[in-house]
Amino acid sequence: MLLTNCLNYILPPLYFLLVWVYGKAFFASLLPAKRFKTKLLIIVSLVHLSYLISITIIYRHFPVTTVFEIFTSLSFSVSVLYCIIEFTSRRKETGFFIMSIAFFFQLISSIFIKNTTDLPEILQSPYFGIHVSSALIGYAAITIAGAYGLMYLMLYYEMKSSRFGVIYKKLPTLESLERMALTAIKIVVALLGTAICFGIIWLHQVYRGLYYADPKLIGTIVIWIMYVLLVIAERCFFIRGRKIMVFSVAGFLIAIFSMTVINILFSEFHRFF
Amino acid sequence: MNLLCIGISHHTAPLEVREKLWFSANEIRGILPLLKQNYACESVLFSTCNRTELYVLTDDGKIEPGLLKKFLIDKKSAADKVQLSDLFILTGGEAARHLFRVSASIDSMVIGDVQILTQIKEGFNLAVELGTAGIFMNRLFQLAFRVGKRARTETEICEGAVSISYAAVELAERIFDKLNEKTAVIIGAGETAELTATHLRSKDLGKLLITNRTYEHACRLASKFEADVLPFDSWSSGLAESDIVISSIETDNYIIQPADIKKANRRHKNVPLFMIDLGVPRNINPDIKKMENVFLYDLDNLDSMISNNLKNREKEIPKVDAIIAEVLDELTQWYSSLEVNPTIIALTEYMESIRKEELEKNINRFDPKDRELAEIITKRIINKIIHRPIINMRNDQDKCLNDRLQKMNIIQKLFGLAGSENKKTHGE
Repeated sequence: MLLTNCLNYILPPLYFLLVWVYGKAFFASLLPAKRFKTKLLIIVSLVHLSYLISITIIYRHFPVTTVFEIFTSLSFSVSVLYCIIEFTSRRKETGFFIMSIAFFFQLISSIFIKNTTDLPEILQSPYFGIHVSSALIGYAAITIAGAYGLMYLMLYYEMKSSRFGVIYKKLPTLESLERMALTAIKIVVALLGTAICFGIIWLHQVYRGLYYADPKLIGTIVIWIMYVLLVIAERCFFIRGRKIMVFSVAGFLIAIFSMTVINILFSEFHRFF
Repeated sequence: MNLLCIGISHHTAPLEVREKLWFSANEIRGILPLLKQNYACESVLFSTCNRTELYVLTDDGKIEPGLLKKFLIDKKSAADKVQLSDLFILTGGEAARHLFRVSASIDSMVIGDVQILTQIKEGFNLAVELGTAGIFMNRLFQLAFRVGKRARTETEICEGAVSISYAAVELAERIFDKLNEKTAVIIGAGETAELTATHLRSKDLGKLLITNRTYEHACRLASKFEADVLPFDSWSSGLAESDIVISSIETDNYIIQPADIKKANRRHKNVPLFMIDLGVPRNINPDIKKMENVFLYDLDNLDSMISNNLKNREKEIPKVDAIIAEVLDELTQWYSSLEVNPTIIALTEYMESIRKEELEKNINRFDPKDRELAEIITKRIINKIIHRPIINMRNDQDKCLNDRLQKMNIIQKLFGLAGSENKKTHGE
């Protein structure tokens, strides 16, 4: 338990250091920062993984049962997804923006998290894990799509106004930012869809108290439909560029609002203990 | 360091003087062997549009720098146009520092010029081919190439476009990921259009369309860049399939209006459109700037981008100077290590270390009373072994500098002395 607590306190400063190093590499082109940032990202992700494993072992459940546990898992998912993006696309310029969001989630989680071992059986089921994992990666993809959307808009307006500053020089091309955001949006549609279907079909069978008017369920479906419409708009109506990216950022903000406000104030369905 | 640099550049003389001292590769082939024969041990000469520089390694006092100035002027028969004062002379470390500044492109007319390093390499390769670049020049120029490479990779001295045509291409590269999948249409066949086409082609542009009022001019340009020609009265048909539009014709009215773009966008499925208006008066209606997913830039935008880039490059000069200081220090250490005395000291220390090590390993095999004797005998053996090489090295001090440097270098390589000597000098 001491280890879990220590890791909980260590993670926000580590994420802050990571954001600072990515910031130095991006804004000041500091050579040691450029060389060290990916290594630090791997170190922080491994420390975070240890933290999540320690919670799972000590409290006997995956850290996805409360909103602040979800925040730390989401922060980890964002880091890992970004790691994959960095290794596959070989583009390392966007880390400052994406890891800032991961830092924010972890900071909130570390401040407010309260772990408990007193959980109903339903939350210890592996099926529940699948439902929540797909939702979690879906939300991480929403975060990444939002971050790329924001970067796209920053670069778009900088180029439109003929200001050729650091954003213009350092960010990837508009086309690749759009492509990365659209890939993330497609992941959202696939995984959030899986989470919703799995939740409705499976949970209805095992949990008789499933309430279809649950604000969180409705909120998630609304978000999912919004992303489905985005994909349709891009594929069928060739709505591209700025408009899609504005919706991507808006989708992220709505998702965060849904996950925090609705979860804390309204949802009874997702409180099993 | 007996290094001399005699040169002329945009800092010291105007173009009409500089051009008189421009040496072609063939002329250099005639000059360098002559220099070797008459004056110097080693020499390298290179000429670019902004400078001609001759680097010479001489023996002490054997050469008068003014003679070399006169030699260069006479070789081009340019005494009527070029004064001795148009040329500069740098010696020793300052000459080496100057070469490093040139290779790092911070001495160029346009700071961060990417061509200069290639031109220096060509000059050096020519000297190697002619046998006038020996051990010193080889080291000096390899370090200069390293400075050039480090300046480009470790600083932002070459970042950002500094010409109108390249700025246009750079902007396109900030919008599109791969230009090889894109189509560009160039309206006009003037000099800027040609330069832009050159840069676009060098970036593997997918398809190039050219249109011009004079059809023959468009054809001429198209054949040069493997492009397709569009008749001028139907060029707007090319707009719908284009991702990049570059316009540079003389016209009193805007030839591209927002309605044209709307129509093209519908057919081109709203993909981003990048437009450069190089015309004066402008060719493209500036209202198009307000349209979504359309990026339109005119000459003023490009000018401000270029001046911004130049300012940013100037800010990088201190970082490049730091790299130069570091490499210059390395050159000085290496050169000092090639002097006779440091080599003798390093060789003596190396032999002594072997003697001591072996004696310590085997000291117990001697009776205590014999140990002092063993010490004396081994010292004598070592002294006798190194006595003759030391005498020979001292005698070499009167010989040609290049021969001496080569001998010292061989001795250091044979005994592995260079590293230890470098550390020692550095420590001092």
